[in-house]
Amino acid sequence: MPDHTPSRPLAGAPDSEAPSSTRALRLGVCGPVGTGKSSLIALLCRELAGELQLGVITNDIYTDEDARFLRSAGVLDPARIRAVETGACPHTAIRDDITANLIAAEELEADFTNAGGTGLDLVLIESGGDNLTATFSPALVDVQVFVLDVAGGGDVARKGGPGIERADLLVVNKTDLAVHVGVDATLMVAEAGAARDGRPVLGLTRTDQASVARLCAWVRAQLASHRIGALVPQDPGPMAPHFHADAANGLTGGWHVHDHAHA
Amino acid sequence: MTDSRRTIHRDLVLMLLADARLPVAGHTQSATLEPALRAGLGPADVPGFVATRLRTVTRVEAATAVVALHHLRRGLDLSAVEAAWSARTTSPAMRATSRSQARALLRLVSRLWPGTEALRAVSSSTTPCRAVVLAATAASLDLEATALARLIGYDDVQTVCSAALKLLPLDPADVTGWVASALPAVDALADEVAHLTRPDDVPASGAPQIEAWAQAHVHTTRRLFSA
Repeated sequence: MPDHTPSRPLAGAPDSEAPSSTRALRLGVCGPVGTGKSSLIALLCRELAGELQLGVITNDIYTDEDARFLRSAGVLDPARIRAVETGACPHTAIRDDITANLIAAEELEADFTNAGGTGLDLVLIESGGDNLTATFSPALVDVQVFVLDVAGGGDVARKGGPGIERADLLVVNKTDLAVHVGVDATLMVAEAGAARDGRPVLGLTRTDQASVARLCAWVRAQLASHRIGALVPQDPGPMAPHFHADAANGLTGGWHVHDHAHA
Repeated sequence: MTDSRRTIHRDLVLMLLADARLPVAGHTQSATLEPALRAGLGPADVPGFVATRLRTVTRVEAATAVVALHHLRRGLDLSAVEAAWSARTTSPAMRATSRSQARALLRLVSRLWPGTEALRAVSSSTTPCRAVVLAATAASLDLEATALARLIGYDDVQTVCSAALKLLPLDPADVTGWVASALPAVDALADEVAHLTRPDDVPASGAPQIEAWAQAHVHTTRRLFSA
């Protein structure tokens, strides 16, 4: 038998699936550990479960803690909350190999599709709490929120990164804590807006109903856009720009993205 | 663009399928190593664990795939192959894991090589096992039975060893040494199963302890790996 196999053309399109208005909107929530991703999802469930059919997928790093937190919060039927194990690779599971999450989303959507063919409106996918560089593949989520909190430091938003700069929405969470941690929340939101070139930033605390209403309005608008097929997933970008402390810019410092390889 | 008149060397196809970067959720799998360590195995036991799997559960997997490949090449019904695998894989957790991995693989290969007869044949089964989907992939890409069996053995060894690096304090070079040391056993396994053709030929070489660990893993709340 010859050692060669006839080649077949690879179906090369990154994702040939057309934007769908029939399946649920998949909304990703990522950001560093402890910034309030699970709480934000619980908040959305509490606020929207009355008007929308919801599902949640969590990507914990070492436990099903987040899924259990959400189930115990009593804001959603526990059967609608699924945990994905990432094998200590939370980055991989939302970006380079999204298979486990895609299958979980499809199963969740299939399990809650009724005989009439109507099913979930919104699937919230929570990333494993990781660092500032993790973002979702646009092949997994239609739209993504990056969550920071004031307690992580007022300068984090200014420093940037793909999620901070280019996620569809940046949430600056726990604004009610700002006075206790010496951060100017208004300034932090303003600096985030500058880093994001005008993309939306939302200062949020669950004790401020007006901020909660703004978050829900943003989600409803994304869903409406998805349903008419107008929502095109945007990629926040592959890597954080990184810092060179070399002679050329060592004094002033500076972030840049480049296309050369590092020696 | 690929020139459709060119041929691809089988070695390259095998490399693609054996690459950990293949997006089929391989990073979520420990091949039962995580519960085995929880049950008391230590770093020194990992090479023995690898060897035990090759003699038992992985042997079932490789033999099933080879028999399925034979059936696919002759257009024979696969249900008896699937049933033979199922009867020899007594842990429901291991069967569920295999079917979930099969779904991930089928999703990818159907996108890369749409419309092959073998993939159509396994897609018609609602929940094929991983060995059968691997066989359909091999049939679609003209891989031989021995190569398919080697792929399954090699992937199992690498799955255990790469999970070991996440779970234990090990030197990656030592662990790669374990993989290299297991290669003769992978080769032998492939030679031993490659000629099988009938569902009854699939050895009933399960490992009750590994299956018990797989079952226990389902009920733990703190785990890195899906299985």
